Amino acid sequence: MRGLIEKILREMLVPTLLFALGLYTVMAILTFVLPQLQGGIGSILEQLPFVRTFIGALLGTEIGDDISAQMFQAFLFVHPVVLLTTWGHAITFCTRVPAGEIDRGTVDVLLAWPLSRGKIYAVETVMCLASGLFVLATGWLGHLTTVGGMPDDMRPSGIGVIWVYLNFFALYISVAGLAFLASSISNRRGRAVGAVVAFIVASFLLNFIAPFWEPARSVDFLALLTYYRPAEVLSNVELPIADIAVLLGVALTAWSVGGLVLMRRSIATA
Amino acid sequence: MSVITTAGLTKRYGTRRGIEDVSLHVSEGSLFGFLGPNGAGKSTTIRILLGFMQASEGRATVLGHDCWRESDVLKREVGYVPGDVRLYSWMTGRIALRISGRMRGRDLTRHGSELAERFGLDLSVRADRMSRGMRQKLGLLLALAHEPKLAVLDEPTSGLDPLMQDELADILREFAARGHTVFFSSHTLSEVEQLCDRVAIVRDGRIVEDESIANLRARARRTAILHFESAQAAASTAAPPQLVELERTGRLWRAQLETDDARAFARWVAEQPIEDFSVSPPNLEGVFRAYYRSVDEAGVGEDGGSA
Repeated sequence: MRGLIEKILREMLVPTLLFALGLYTVMAILTFVLPQLQGGIGSILEQLPFVRTFIGALLGTEIGDDISAQMFQAFLFVHPVVLLTTWGHAITFCTRVPAGEIDRGTVDVLLAWPLSRGKIYAVETVMCLASGLFVLATGWLGHLTTVGGMPDDMRPSGIGVIWVYLNFFALYISVAGLAFLASSISNRRGRAVGAVVAFIVASFLLNFIAPFWEPARSVDFLALLTYYRPAEVLSNVELPIADIAVLLGVALTAWSVGGLVLMRRSIATA
Repeated sequence: MSVITTAGLTKRYGTRRGIEDVSLHVSEGSLFGFLGPNGAGKSTTIRILLGFMQASEGRATVLGHDCWRESDVLKREVGYVPGDVRLYSWMTGRIALRISGRMRGRDLTRHGSELAERFGLDLSVRADRMSRGMRQKLGLLLALAHEPKLAVLDEPTSGLDPLMQDELADILREFAARGHTVFFSSHTLSEVEQLCDRVAIVRDGRIVEDESIANLRARARRTAILHFESAQAAASTAAPPQLVELERTGRLWRAQLETDDARAFARWVAEQPIEDFSVSPPNLEGVFRAYYRSVDEAGVGEDGGSA
C-alpha cells in the first residue's frame, strides 16, 4: 500500500501543487478584482441587455434588473478558469489508471506487483478525493487571502461559501468519476480525456443555452452544471442537498461502474 | 510439484485467434523454455498466467493459485519481465527497488544492488534517460530482486548485448539451482537450447511440442557438407538412404544425416569421389524449423494481438 501511495505521489504531487497554486492565485485575484468590476457591470447591462441572460446562464440562476453584490460573488465559483483548473486536475488524475498506464506501457510494471485491482482502485480513489479536496481548499485559501479587502456588503457569508464549496466538491468528484469511467474502458489516455472533455463541454453548452432555447431546457437536467448553482446558494444560504445528491449519485455510479470494469477487464499493452 | 499448470487454455480476441487449447505443466526448479515466433501466442499465454487477461476457456494455476481470481496472491512469489519493458519516467533503479520492496513487504536493496552490479546497471539513472538495454536490465532486476519462486521472462534478452545475455543465463542457472523456476519465453532457439532443460513450442496459438531438450536433441539430425572432386561427380552421385539432400550447388552438397550410425555414413563417404566433408553436431535448428515450416509455407502472418 505504501509503495502504491509513493508511486501516486511521485506522479501527481507536482501537478497537484501546480493546480492548487493556480487555483489559489485565480481565486485570490478574482476575490480582489470583483468588487472593482461590480460598478461597471450596471452600465454594461443597460447598454447590452442580452448580457444579463448570459450572466444568468453562467451563474445558473435568473437575475433581475440589477445584480446584487452577493450574487456577484458567485462569479468566483463559476469563472471558467476556476472550473477548468479543478476539472483539469480531476481529469489529469483520473485518466492515469488504467488508460494512461496502458497507453505508455507501464501497466505491465503496475500489474506485476502483488496488488489486487481492487486495491489499486481503492487507493487511486482515495488519493484522488484527497488531492481534489486539497486543490479546492487551496482555492478557498486564495479567496480568504484577499476577502478582507472586500466591502462588507459584498462579502459572502462564511456558511454560504462552505455550502458552495460542498457543492463544488460534489461537482469535482462527479467529473473525476466520469474521467475514471472513461479511463477504465479505454486503452488510450487521449481518448479518455477527449470523451470526458466532450461530455463536459456538451454539459456546459447545454446548461448555457437552456435559458434561451426551449428544446434544450427540456433536457438540461442531463447537464452536470444544472446541479451547481452558487448564486442561489449564496443568496439563500442553504445547503443545496438535492443538487449535491444528484452529483454524488453521478459520481458514485461512474466510480462504481469504472471500478467494476477495471476489475473485470483483460489488460494488455497496446 | 507443478509450478504452472494450464489445461485447455484458450483466448480469443473476437474473431481473431489468441491461443487455443494450451496445456502446460512446468515443474519446480526447472528452466522451461517457451518457444515460438512473434505472434504465436507466447505473450498472451503469459498475460493469462499473471492475471492480466482472462482466458476465454480453460483453466490456469500458478503455484496452486487461480491465475485470474488470485493473481495478487500468486504475484507475491512471481517475478515478471514483459516483452517490451516500459518504466515510469521518474523511476530510477534505487526508487524502483524501494517501491517494489514496499509493495512486496521486504527490503530488496541488498539483493537488488548485487544484481545491478552483475548487470552493470547504474541505479541512479532515471528511466527516461535509460537506453533500451538499461531498461531491460532494470526490468530484470525488478523481476528477480525479491527471489521469487517463479520468474516469468518474456523475451528477456532483447536489448542486451551478448555478454549481458551470458550473464543473464548464468544468473538464471544459479536461480534455478536454488530451487526456483524459470519460464523463459523466446523466439530464439539458440538461447532456449543453451539455457533450458525443457521446451514447449507454440505455433499458431497451439502447443505443438512439449519435450525435454535432451529428447529433442536426440531427435535432432546432423548436417553434412560434402565437397566432390568435380561438379560432374557431384551431379552423378546418388544420395544413399541415410542422407537427405538439402542443396546441391556445383561441387557442393548439403545434406541432412538421417541416421545415428556415423560409421555407415563414413564408409559411404570413403567410397565416393569426395575431396572433403564436414558433419555438424546435432542441433535443434532443424527440429525447430520443421515445426514452423508448415506455417511459413501456408504464409501465416503474425498475430499482433497476441505477440
